[in-house]
Amino acid sequence: MEIVPQLIVNSIIAGAIYSMVALGFNLIYGTAKFFDLGYGVLTAIGGYAVFYFSSTLGFNIYISIILGVLVAGFVGYLIEKIVYKKLRARKASSMVFMVAALGVMTTLQAIIAILFSSQFQVFPATINTQTFQIFGGVITGVQLIALTLSIVIMFVLVLTLRFTKFGKAIKAVSDDAEVAKMVGINTDGIISKVFFIGSCIAGLAGVLVGFDTGIEPIMGFSLLLKGVIASIIGGVGNIYGGVLGSFLLGFIENFGIWKISGEWKDAISFSVLIVFLLFRPNGILGKKQ
Amino acid sequence: MDYLIHIAILIGIYSILALSLNLIVGYTGLLSITQAAFYGIGAYATAILLTSFGMNFFLSIIVGMIITGVVSLAIGYVLSKFDGDYFALGSFGFNIIVYSIFLNWQSLTRGPLGIPGISKPSLFGLDFGENIIFLILVIIFALAVYFTSRFITNSSFGRVLKAIREDEKAIEVFGYNTLFFKLTIFAIGAMIASIAGALFASYITYVDPTSFALSESIFILAIIILGGLANNKGVVLGVVCLVILPEALRFVGFPSDIAAQMRQVTYGLILILLMLYRPQGLLGEYKL
Repeated sequence: MEIVPQLIVNSIIAGAIYSMVALGFNLIYGTAKFFDLGYGVLTAIGGYAVFYFSSTLGFNIYISIILGVLVAGFVGYLIEKIVYKKLRARKASSMVFMVAALGVMTTLQAIIAILFSSQFQVFPATINTQTFQIFGGVITGVQLIALTLSIVIMFVLVLTLRFTKFGKAIKAVSDDAEVAKMVGINTDGIISKVFFIGSCIAGLAGVLVGFDTGIEPIMGFSLLLKGVIASIIGGVGNIYGGVLGSFLLGFIENFGIWKISGEWKDAISFSVLIVFLLFRPNGILGKKQ
Repeated sequence: MDYLIHIAILIGIYSILALSLNLIVGYTGLLSITQAAFYGIGAYATAILLTSFGMNFFLSIIVGMIITGVVSLAIGYVLSKFDGDYFALGSFGFNIIVYSIFLNWQSLTRGPLGIPGISKPSLFGLDFGENIIFLILVIIFALAVYFTSRFITNSSFGRVLKAIREDEKAIEVFGYNTLFFKLTIFAIGAMIASIAGALFASYITYVDPTSFALSESIFILAIIILGGLANNKGVVLGVVCLVILPEALRFVGFPSDIAAQMRQVTYGLILILLMLYRPQGLLGEYKL
């Protein structure tokens, strides 16, 4: 195992996971127009739902995964219905949304910790234990699946947005919700669906992280931060930008800790964010405002 | 009785913190989620100066305030480039960076082990080791902060801050250098938070990074939003509610681990409910 190929592999894997979170986050930001800081906790909900179905109820692991992803999607949908929809109806400022999202994050994270303890846990069954050698770097089966899924999700999203009626409606809502409403698009319906889809993606990311390392209640928070940072450095609201930013962030982080210790990862990513906000606030692919 | 004094001391320390954040969020309208970082810098400054250099507690407060002031000016300058959501997100980031420094600069902060054995303050032979006397000290500081804050917000300087909050462009047209005002109040708020940190370190006699994580900043934000932005009395009311409420949960009989999580659930729910039904909080004069 050589160091540089391994770092490259690690960067790509990290980038794949971040890109899923960034995709969902971007999708939600695009339509609902606020930083959904509560989004990250849905990864933990996905992970813990799989843990509950497979470990406590003893379901088949693949069925558990599907159920877990759906649970995450459903919780995201409910949060939108209960909280954000009302705030939108009242035309609340984006700061109000952000504080409410902080509340959502804090509450759900603590509820998970109460139900499942705040300890780090692993799934009872694994899906793929093979490991592969690529140019001297080691990659596990789970990581390969994560990488494939993130690419598939990106293409499915891009195709959906471009070629389906639903995708066009999403674009209309993100361009101008008022006008979209005027031409007869059910904006609330579209936003609810977007929350469901985005939350499913978050849940899937959480499940994959669970298989790769393990789950803990606070896992969503750092994933969210990485997703947000990736979205911003790639260009908020731009799907390709989010993916590009994710892989870039993956590389910066993993090569950043090559020479200094691994605990600095979060500090490195935030420094990157602040540098970008200062010098290129619209991100790499972002449009000029 | 000891327990009541303990609660009163906590209320005093959190009042200082909440008042300091209210200057930034409530009066100036800058949604800063990084107050725990400055709280932590103050606490670590006192912890290190007392344990390694045997410095007097009161001198360490001043040194801590100077360090915090310099750091906050640098952070505030960077943050001044952003507005709205991005300001909040950037401030968020600084909290995480400062937290990582507490956790990883092992030679200075001993990392996750924390710094134990911080002595209680003493001045001219007067010892503040007894909790009841320490409480008096905390109350003196809290009152000083309260009146300083009132003085600032009632002064012409404070009126400019409120004007920035309502319409920054308009006040700029009148020739005010808003950057100067925003930076000054950001640094003042940060320095006041560092006093709370020093008191906390000396009271608990131990500091470790977990006390200054992002969740603490969110907690302080929840306090001032509940109590009422831009209303100092409301803020103190918010402190009393949010410090006592989780203690009450402990009495109901939850084990301490669950109680800690229940505290998070409580203030998370409070944030959501306030945003939904009463965004100005109990006594607030400003809505986010």
